[in-house]
Amino acid sequence: MSVRSFRTYYIIISTLLFSTVLFPIFTFGNKAYPLILGLPYSFFWIILWIVITFIAVLILYFIDPDKEEV
Amino acid sequence: MEHWQISMLIMVLYLVIALIVGVMAGRGTNKASLEEFTTAGRGLGLFLTWFLMGGAIFSAFSFLGAPGWAFTRGAPAFYILAYLAFSLLPWYIIGPKIGRIGRKFNLYSMVGFLQTRFRSKALGILVGFIAFFACIQYLATQLRGMAIIFNLMTEGRIAFWFGALVAYAIVVTYVATGGLRAAAWSDVFQGALMITVSWVIGIMIVKKMHGTTTEMFSKIAAADPDFLRIGVEGSTMSTTAFTSVILVSVIGFLMWPHMFARSYSSNAVTIKKTVIAYPLFALLIIPLLLAGFAAVGVVNVSAVGESDQILPYLITTFLSLPGWLYGLVGAAALAAAMSSADVITHSASMEFTDGVIKNMFPNLSDKVTLLIMRSAVVLIGALAYCIAVFGGQGVVALLLGAYGSIIQFTPGVLSALYWKRVTTQGVFTGIVAGFVVNLYFQLFATTTPFEIHPGLIGLIANTIVMIGVSYMTKPDTSSVVESYVNDQKKTKPIKGNNTTPEASIYTYQS
Repeated sequence: MSVRSFRTYYIIISTLLFSTVLFPIFTFGNKAYPLILGLPYSFFWIILWIVITFIAVLILYFIDPDKEEV
Repeated sequence: MEHWQISMLIMVLYLVIALIVGVMAGRGTNKASLEEFTTAGRGLGLFLTWFLMGGAIFSAFSFLGAPGWAFTRGAPAFYILAYLAFSLLPWYIIGPKIGRIGRKFNLYSMVGFLQTRFRSKALGILVGFIAFFACIQYLATQLRGMAIIFNLMTEGRIAFWFGALVAYAIVVTYVATGGLRAAAWSDVFQGALMITVSWVIGIMIVKKMHGTTTEMFSKIAAADPDFLRIGVEGSTMSTTAFTSVILVSVIGFLMWPHMFARSYSSNAVTIKKTVIAYPLFALLIIPLLLAGFAAVGVVNVSAVGESDQILPYLITTFLSLPGWLYGLVGAAALAAAMSSADVITHSASMEFTDGVIKNMFPNLSDKVTLLIMRSAVVLIGALAYCIAVFGGQGVVALLLGAYGSIIQFTPGVLSALYWKRVTTQGVFTGIVAGFVVNLYFQLFATTTPFEIHPGLIGLIANTIVMIGVSYMTKPDTSSVVESYVNDQKKTKPIKGNNTTPEASIYTYQS
């Protein structure tokens, strides 16, 4: 993958992940019930997407053609 | 000994240790070096960078503001978690590029970055001033936080004004003497303390007051499910307000001079690895939110005074925990405030000296520059101290106000990196327009359209003006445009040709 197309992927994926905590998409998470792992659904939703974002960026890093750059 | 005495003893002990760590870290490095003071010789490793960036997550704002919001407002407090987790993602792309440009032109500030690209003294002075005032506001939030902690943890024995003064004296001492590396090493010590204490205390508060989080949230949800939602009838924040406040914070986060300057002090791999870890760092504030929720429906809002004080209130008054424990919490909260205060002071002094002083008095030697930077540290502290003690806003409000100004640098910085057609006039008028619009909605207007954050409205005005004016003015044909926008990775050094930077901030001036 070229540096340029990696950059495009990175921007698209991170924007999509970020939009999960913004309205309108956050509407799906904007509920008090059910309580999951002791947390209200809205709280849980945000934490879930943060964890998914961590994993996604980790994977992106491994396919980054540019990661050895100093 | 009484509780407050033990607690004060622990806080004083903490301050002494923090001071020693900071001063020790500054030893052995070249004290007179401008490069070392500003970017730690451009060689901060992953470990120190993690703690420097992580230190930004734990601040007076997360220690006092986050529980306060959870307590009085409920679900809107999630915005803090959301913005912290996502705020660093753009850095993966722009950080390494800014770093390379920084090395090429020997830059260490936001002002230097913009001024080298746009070659305008007026722009440098403008950016220097805006950064200076935004930083002072930010610093004031930290000082206010420290003063609240000192005051409440000693059961009112240390006056508000005196607490802020003591803590600030220490920050000024080690930033002025040690520079960036001192700040970084104190952050390591402070970071460890903050994380441990916030988790222990958060879990302890929930356990003592409710047993489990399930029980706690069941009670809150049963009483009022809308408290845990956003933008519904009876909720404390509208959907647009929630979305725009997250947007402003995420877009503004990297434009803070102390964040921006991290691109210079770390290499690309370190930057990328920091971005990866950052969402997890953000999760570290969860127990602080839980502590705030624990008080919902149990503690009467009017009994606390201001919402910022809920965490100290729970510990000292409501739960009557032992003195050593509130000493530790006090020390951790001080650590949180100070680790943010030190880097912001450091950056504010740099931006001010670079933007305002150097443009007005261009022929200063490195030695004099360094002296001015160190004096600026003291001045900035004094101004922030006045706002903290005499101004009357809450911690969250102060910080959000500052974000509105800082976010106005975003269009200029991004187009400096990626858009050749942008012109100096475009960026200058854009920043002025954005800043004025933001200020108008913050100070004079009572409401904003759809409850959008004033900073975001300013940003929209800023972008439109910048693009419009850029197309109306002549394109910039200088070679510096090329070397910013088309900057390639791995500019392999040509033998014997790479010891001095290609150009400096002065090359393109006049």
